[in-house]
Amino acid sequence: MKRFLFACFVAFWSSVVSIWGYAVLATDIAADSVTGMANQRFISAEELARHASSDDCWMAIEGVVYNFTAYLPQHPTPPVVMTDWCGKDATQQYRTKGYGRPHSPAADALLPQYQVGMLKNP
Amino acid sequence: MTTLIRLTTIALATWPLAVLAADLYVGTPADTSAWLHWFGRAAGLIGFAWFLLAMTLSVRLPRFDLALGGLLALWRVHHWLGAISFVLLMLHPPLLALASVSAGPQAVLATLVPPASTWAVWSGWAALLLMMVFQAPSFSFFGSPRYQRWKLLHRLSGAAMVLALVHALALPGLLKPVTAEWVWGSLTALAAAAFLWRLLLSRWLSRRQYRITRVNSLAPRVVELTLEGPPLRYDAGQFVYLTPLDPALPAGRGEEHPYSLVSAPQEPCLRIAIKELGDASSALMRVAEGSLATVEGPYGRFLPPQHDGAALWIGGGIGIAPFVSAARAFASQSGKVNVQLVYCANDPSRAYYLAELERIAASQPGFVVHPHYFAEQGPLTASFLEDCAADYRQRMCYICGPSALLNLAETILTGEGMPRRHIRMEEFNLL
Repeated sequence: MKRFLFACFVAFWSSVVSIWGYAVLATDIAADSVTGMANQRFISAEELARHASSDDCWMAIEGVVYNFTAYLPQHPTPPVVMTDWCGKDATQQYRTKGYGRPHSPAADALLPQYQVGMLKNP
Repeated sequence: MTTLIRLTTIALATWPLAVLAADLYVGTPADTSAWLHWFGRAAGLIGFAWFLLAMTLSVRLPRFDLALGGLLALWRVHHWLGAISFVLLMLHPPLLALASVSAGPQAVLATLVPPASTWAVWSGWAALLLMMVFQAPSFSFFGSPRYQRWKLLHRLSGAAMVLALVHALALPGLLKPVTAEWVWGSLTALAAAAFLWRLLLSRWLSRRQYRITRVNSLAPRVVELTLEGPPLRYDAGQFVYLTPLDPALPAGRGEEHPYSLVSAPQEPCLRIAIKELGDASSALMRVAEGSLATVEGPYGRFLPPQHDGAALWIGGGIGIAPFVSAARAFASQSGKVNVQLVYCANDPSRAYYLAELERIAASQPGFVVHPHYFAEQGPLTASFLEDCAADYRQRMCYICGPSALLNLAETILTGEGMPRRHIRMEEFNLL
């Protein structure tokens, strides 16, 4: 057991350092591509409301509009948790997850790649 | 009470599996990434739950251990739970990071190294690092640790528990937040109570003071201490934690170490056999008569309370101690016994309890002692056991001694067709 645990200990640090190294090296490229994707198109609340199904799901969070259609199957909770908010401003829901806990930094980092524009002020 | 303690322990160990099954029932993860995410959270859930259970089981309340098979069995459970939870908690961060690979390197980086303001994640990291510090000596990562240093480092488990609790409450994972507060709150309360009992309360409430009235040198590097003090209720074959307080001791003063009782439970004094194995036990060879010591216990469940069932005892070195206690107990009683004792020693000079055991055997027809000397006869063999008792395969076997003797005796007995459940072994191997 002692050898197995030591092997796990070494494997843990090797994998954490490897994953971290990959992420650091790849971040610049990803950041460039996200910047390139940044879309400053202004989207009205009416246009947002037209994308209100699980086959075409847009949401506004903190004034930014995202197209989450491709992401829906990957969300850890059952789909209905997200699809209820398609076509709407989901800022409060995103901040609290419905019970007062914010989303993780990993979730924040996911957002930019789904950005389609900015929500037009009413 | 015994059943209640066992059922509670099983329930505490298995509830995370029920949570995971229920979560899978509600919604199966859709793809590899979601599965990795689920496994990462499951590893965190089971890992923390079993870490808290391992802490709770380390409470070492006298007699509480009997319900779970004795303190040595409880330590083995504690050790395994600690090891499994350690592995699971080491899997937790890499699995979550790998789960976010499909979302891009920024998500991976944010999972592993989030902004400093994300204190809940950093609290989890700090708990895991502390765990590595205090678990490393338990599993001899960097060589065998000193007993006292290992015990001191184990106190870091309290800080690790608090940091992990902060992490688990702020990021409830697979549990709903209200459920998480109840579950982690109550499990942490149990673990914290066990931790505080060991750290602070047990020394005031559980240790009792005795006076060492006799230091009897049985052989070079082996003594038998006689202690007078409050009566202690125990069974033959149990052990206690002894903390010597003699100010003249060069080492081990105020440190607690486990030693076997060799007195009979009905004796007015406690007698403890000690062999020189480290600095603390070495110092006890010359402890002053009249000095004080505290005793905490009794612990362990090695021998049955009655000895009328056919039994084979194999004791080697200082491992003869529990058998001496049992033999002294039935020496002064009229009950029927059926015991064959194989007393393993290197040579006659190291069979320091043989004369007394043979005297007891002379007055107890059902008790027979067979000395075995390694220097003259080599390692113990099946044919030697056959000569001692032709029916030894049908007896319950109790073995206590150094690990080499335990391994050899177990190999012989199982090789001769003895079921493993008929063999009970006792070894003081804390690490």
